[in-house]
Parts: sequence; structure tokens; C-alpha cells
Amino acid sequence: MSFRNRFSQFAVLAFVGLALAACANQKVPATAAISGIETAINAASAEASKYVPDQLADVQSKFAALKDSLDKQDYKAVLAGAPAVLSSAQGLVAAAAAKKDEVMKAFNGDWTGLAASLPNLVSAVKSRVDILSKSKKLPAGVDLAAAKSGLEEASSLWSKAQGAFSSGNLEEAVNTAKEVKSKAEAAAAALKLDLSQPAAAK
Amino acid sequence: MAEKDNSSNPPAAGAALGQYHVVVKGDTLGKIAEKYYGDPSLYKDIFEANKNVLKDPNKIFPGQKLRIP
Repeated sequence: MSFRNRFSQFAVLAFVGLALAACANQKVPATAAISGIETAINAASAEASKYVPDQLADVQSKFAALKDSLDKQDYKAVLAGAPAVLSSAQGLVAAAAAKKDEVMKAFNGDWTGLAASLPNLVSAVKSRVDILSKSKKLPAGVDLAAAKSGLEEASSLWSKAQGAFSSGNLEEAVNTAKEVKSKAEAAAAALKLDLSQPAAAK
Repeated sequence: MAEKDNSSNPPAAGAALGQYHVVVKGDTLGKIAEKYYGDPSLYKDIFEANKNVLKDPNKIFPGQKLRIP
């Protein structure tokens, strides 16, 4: 074998060796990058799935594409795409916190309004139920039994809403209070109790 | 003849929530009680709820706005 042929063989082997070494060098950081992104997504997913589900889905989709590249040993693609996906994954926590804050402020406003108006509404319905229960002949169209049942449900739900508020579950408190409003209004309608009229001049 | 107050404005802020009736000529508390409760004998409930404006259940005047509890 000539010197020239030996040199060619050596060059090919050296190239393959360098390529394998380069490949091995990229595998470790690529795997670490995937792991880092996965950790960031897992840390944010509970709140993100509730408050910024679209943003979470977008990050998960990009992460899946990176994992696919890793499985195909395309480490270069993984390392090229990982920083942006990691940044998006890390941003999920702040985005979810901001959205949660916005939602909680809205619930707080709703609760303040409902807590101020519902006791009066339930009290007005109860007062009419008490009086009609003494009546010898109910006015036409009044369904006292339905109103009593609705009032009972509204009262029970109102206790539940207050309990949820006391234990810090604002979302449940507001949603339950909205049910109270609906039940009490239905009971008022069953009594033909029109509460939309203006109050008497003082 | 009794007339119904058809106003649909929301209650004023801080006002007691309730149904209201504007007294017209010919109204008595008994007639109003019959209209809203089906029973004239329940006029006392209306009188009790309006003691701030009524001194005597037999004396009501057109234009008075009574709360119907």
C-alpha cells in the first residue's frame, strides 16, 4: 500500500472519529437542555394549565418538537432551539401569576357586589314567603311551594358561599353566590315579587 | 280603582329592597293586601312595614309609596 493510500485511510478514520466526538460532545448539552426545559414546564404546569392554557400548549408543542429532534440524534437542532423554548417555559410562571392576579381581582369585585346585595334579596323573598304562608287564598299565579323550596336552596348555598370565602376559596365563593342569586330570583318570580321597582322617597 | 306602579328603575343605592305600591284614590290597606297577598286580613304586615309614613292603617293617601314586604 502506497503512502498516499495509507494517508487517505487515516484521513477518513480521523474524520469519522472527529465527527463521532463532535456528536458525543453535543449529546450531553442537548440532553441537559431538554431536561432543563422539562423541569421548567413541570414547575409551571399546574397554574399555567388553569390560567394560560394556550401559552402552555404552545410551549409543550415546541418542547415535543425538540424531544423529537433529540430522539433523532439531531443535537444541533436541539441546541439551536432550546434557549427560546426554555425562555418561554420559564415565562409561564410569571404569565400564569399575572393572569391569576387579574382573575382574582375580578372575583373580588364580584364577591363585594354579591355579598352586599344577596342578603337583602334573600331577606325580601323570605319576608314575602312568611306573609304568604299566612294567606287564606294565594293570588293567582303565585307558586308558594316552589318559592319555599328555592328559598331553602338559596339559604343553604349562601352559607356554603360564605364558608368558601372564609376559607379563601374566592372562585368557589363567587360561583356559589351566583347560584344563590339565580335561586333567589327564581323564588321571587314564583311569588310574583317584583324587586325592580324604585324605593320610596325618604 | 287601584293602579300599579309600573316603573322599572333599579332601586336607589342604599334603599331597602322590596316591592312598592303607589296609593291611588279608592285604595285601602285591605285592598292592597288582597292584591299582593290574596288576603285582605294581612293588611297589618303592610302597615308594620310602613310605620315610618303611616300613623293609622285606615288613613292612606293617593301618591304615597308603600313598601310591600
